Amino acid sequence: MSAIGSLPGLDPVIHAQARLRVMVALAALATGDQITFPRLQQLLDMTAGNLSTHLRKLEDASYVQITKAYQRRTPVTYVALTEQGQRAFTDYTAALHQLLTPPSDQLGG
Amino acid sequence: MAGEDTGARLEEDSPLSAEESLALIESQQREVHRRLGVNVALFYGPWGAAYLLGFGSVFLTYPSAVPLRLPGGVAAVITGVLFAAAIVVSVVNGTRAGRGVRGPSRMVGVMYGWSWTLGFCGLAAVNIGVTRRGLSADAATLLWSGSALLLVGVLYLAGGALWQDRFQYGLGVWMLVTGAGSVLAGVPGNFAVLSLAGGGGLLLTAGYFTLRPPRPRR
Repeated sequence: MSAIGSLPGLDPVIHAQARLRVMVALAALATGDQITFPRLQQLLDMTAGNLSTHLRKLEDASYVQITKAYQRRTPVTYVALTEQGQRAFTDYTAALHQLLTPPSDQLGG
Repeated sequence: MAGEDTGARLEEDSPLSAEESLALIESQQREVHRRLGVNVALFYGPWGAAYLLGFGSVFLTYPSAVPLRLPGGVAAVITGVLFAAAIVVSVVNGTRAGRGVRGPSRMVGVMYGWSWTLGFCGLAAVNIGVTRRGLSADAATLLWSGSALLLVGVLYLAGGALWQDRFQYGLGVWMLVTGAGSVLAGVPGNFAVLSLAGGGGLLLTAGYFTLRPPRPRR
C-alpha cells in the first residue's frame, strides 16, 4: 500500500510536503481569519522566499487569498484559505483516508 | 540558501506516500494548534494563586478566626502583588494570543478582554457609590465579595458560550455559587470561601487546561 508512486487522484497542488504544511496551517485558522506572512513563516519555519514560492502556486490554484493592507503606514500581507482551498484540503484528506482504508472496510462502510 | 535546497530536494526526491502524507497532516496540525493556540491555563493559574493566597492572607488577619494572626499590611501587600501580577499575565497572554491574526476570532478575543476591564470599572463605580451612602464595613466587604464573584462568574459563562467550552462554563457556575456562598458565610468567613472555593476552582481549571491537548479554534 505504501509503495504507490504518484498516487493518482490526489491533488498535485497540495500533495507536496511544503505546500501541504502551508495548507494545514491555514486550515487551522478560525473561519474568516487571516494570518500575516511573517507569522505564518514563523509558524512553519520556512524561509521567506520558499514560503512565497509555495503561496504563489497555491494562489494560482485559487486555494489561497493574499491581501495587502496597511497598518500604521506599514504594508502587511495577510494570507487565508479561500473557500475553494478549504474544500480542496477537505477533499484531499478524504482521498487519503480512502486510499488507506482496506477494501473490506470500504464494503462494510 | 541551504534551507530552500533541502526543502526542494526533499520534495522532489521523496514523493509522499498516503501514510506519510496523513502523518504529516496530523503532526503539523498538532504543531500549529500548539503554537497558534493561546495558553489557556495561563488565564487561570495566576488568578487561582491570587485568590488562594491573597484572600487566604486576608482571612488570617482576623484574630478571632485563627490563632495565627497576620498583620493587615502584610496581607494587603500579598493580595496587591498577586492580583496585579494576575492582571499583567492575563493582559500579556491575551494580547499574544492573536499575534499576526486578524478576523472574527481576533475581534471576539479583543471584545471579551475589554468586557473584563469595562465590567470591573462599572462594578467599582456602583459599589463605591453604594458604599458612600452608608454601609457598615462588613456589609461593604460582602457587597464587593458577592458582586465581584457574580461578575467573574458571568464573564466565565460568556467565555464558555463564546468558545463552546463546557469546562469554562462550569467554572462560571462555580464562581456564582462561590460568590453567593461568600455572602452567606459573612465576614471573615467570606475570605475563606473566596480563597478555598474560588482559588481552588481556578487552580483546578488551570490544571485541566494544562493537561488537555490543544484543540482546533473553531
